[in-house]
Amino acid sequence: MKAALSRAVMALAMCCMDESRHEWSAAMRAEFDTAIPEGRSLSFATGCLVAAWREMLTREEGRYTLTNYALALGVMIPMAALQIGCALFGLPYLYPGREGLSGALLVGAEHEALIRGVYQTAVTPLAFLLLLLGVGHLGIAQAMLQREWDRVRRIGTLTLAASATLVIFMGVLFLDSSQALLQGGVLAIELATIAVVVRWHAQLFPAAVDEHPG
Amino acid sequence: MARKRQPSKQMRLLLEALSARRREWRHGYDLMKETGLSSGTLYPLLMRMTDQGLVEAEWREPAQPGRPARHAYRLTAAGFALALEQSEDRGRLDPRTAIA
Repeated sequence: MKAALSRAVMALAMCCMDESRHEWSAAMRAEFDTAIPEGRSLSFATGCLVAAWREMLTREEGRYTLTNYALALGVMIPMAALQIGCALFGLPYLYPGREGLSGALLVGAEHEALIRGVYQTAVTPLAFLLLLLGVGHLGIAQAMLQREWDRVRRIGTLTLAASATLVIFMGVLFLDSSQALLQGGVLAIELATIAVVVRWHAQLFPAAVDEHPG
Repeated sequence: MARKRQPSKQMRLLLEALSARRREWRHGYDLMKETGLSSGTLYPLLMRMTDQGLVEAEWREPAQPGRPARHAYRLTAAGFALALEQSEDRGRLDPRTAIA
């Protein structure tokens, strides 16, 4: 168990090491084999992981990688989870008061009987649009980690279009679209932040941009 | 005039260990044991010292056949000069050495 864990930690350390430090990661890996028979493999591997992270923070390429991962895993994935969850579990926070569609229907109000049918028909397209937004966020996160900026741009445009459609659709149905507008605003900020990350990537790795012009 | 930055305690330990057997190529794991530094401290230090031209590194064939090659380190002339400078400073400042 301990051996498997230390091998996993060591493999993670190797992955975290910058490409320009490839020789050093091979050097650590070679010494890891020496640490195993002495029973210090886990502490050695953990130290190597710390070394890789320290190295990452001291180099601009490393800081760029950390920022990209933080944005993808810390912002895009939670946003995707929120939207997919909202679509699958009855759109609870899309409407004011977080009471779902029943809140928007003004249950018990006089016009409820008139609009109930229309709103219930609208649930499926609204949920589909939200699902699209969530899946779009997931796609953007994946493309960001793979540094496929052209794909990020394409999915980002589609997601923004889905967000605008959601706001318009809700407006047409006379639903309060302030939450959907807020989501659209958040998406616009996310895409603007990604644009900064793309520019940073282009400055650091001009050769990669020449190969895959975005 | 800009003041020269003093090496850290960990760097002084490493300089001391490497200068004790200057001509010998030393391995990372042995240096860890000798200096008491963890791999998380030793390797960033070795990388920085190699970048600064204080340490040279190369792949060495192992003493036992069938084992993988290992990365080995030793001080350059600049590194040895820094180690000497440090040991002289220590001799000047350390009261125990001064009394002796």
